[in-house]
Amino acid sequence: MPNITVFDPSEYHVRLVGRMRTAAGLDYEYRAILDTGAPFTEFSDQFLHAAGVLPGIASSVSTKHGLQTQKYRRLKLLRIDICGHVIEDMQVYVSHFEKHWGVDALIGLDFFRQFCVTINYNAGQIITEPYEV
Amino acid sequence: MKKAYPNEWLLVTDYERDRYGNLSVGVVERHSTDKDEVYRLPSLNKDCAFEYTGESTFRGFRDHAEHHCF
Repeated sequence: MPNITVFDPSEYHVRLVGRMRTAAGLDYEYRAILDTGAPFTEFSDQFLHAAGVLPGIASSVSTKHGLQTQKYRRLKLLRIDICGHVIEDMQVYVSHFEKHWGVDALIGLDFFRQFCVTINYNAGQIITEPYEV
Repeated sequence: MKKAYPNEWLLVTDYERDRYGNLSVGVVERHSTDKDEVYRLPSLNKDCAFEYTGESTFRGFRDHAEHHCF
């Protein structure tokens, strides 16, 4: 059965709520943008640090000229929820995010490789389901 | 919450969301226009949500170029 996630089509982006569960069993919800321009899913280092899954934030890393974000390491997240799908042990990139973006994750094409995603902008719905194997 | 805390970062517990995922009710544990202040440690030892009540200015590469290249 596909999942249907509602978003506000009047906003500039497809903005979602995601959830991450930590090893301590705590759930942290974050705002994410569905970003077809991102090859991989990225999380802000600030969010991951605040949730206790990233020991420290690399202060020496700066965004290189011509890049939007600066990915600087990979991290395996125990369990995250995107569009109602629970994904365990997902590898994501840790990045510096611009604070004015107002989000903590960019859901990238790796999610689209795992799930068939249909966006109905008229209805403000994202319909997602795993690809049949 | 957008009206009570405009253009602020929030750390909220015991919350409910509307159909679009916006926080409708909840306990605001921290709030500030400074993201660092809301995301500081120690974190809360309970389920929570981070939220920004302002408009996201994310515009992909164009956003980056406007802030860093011109």
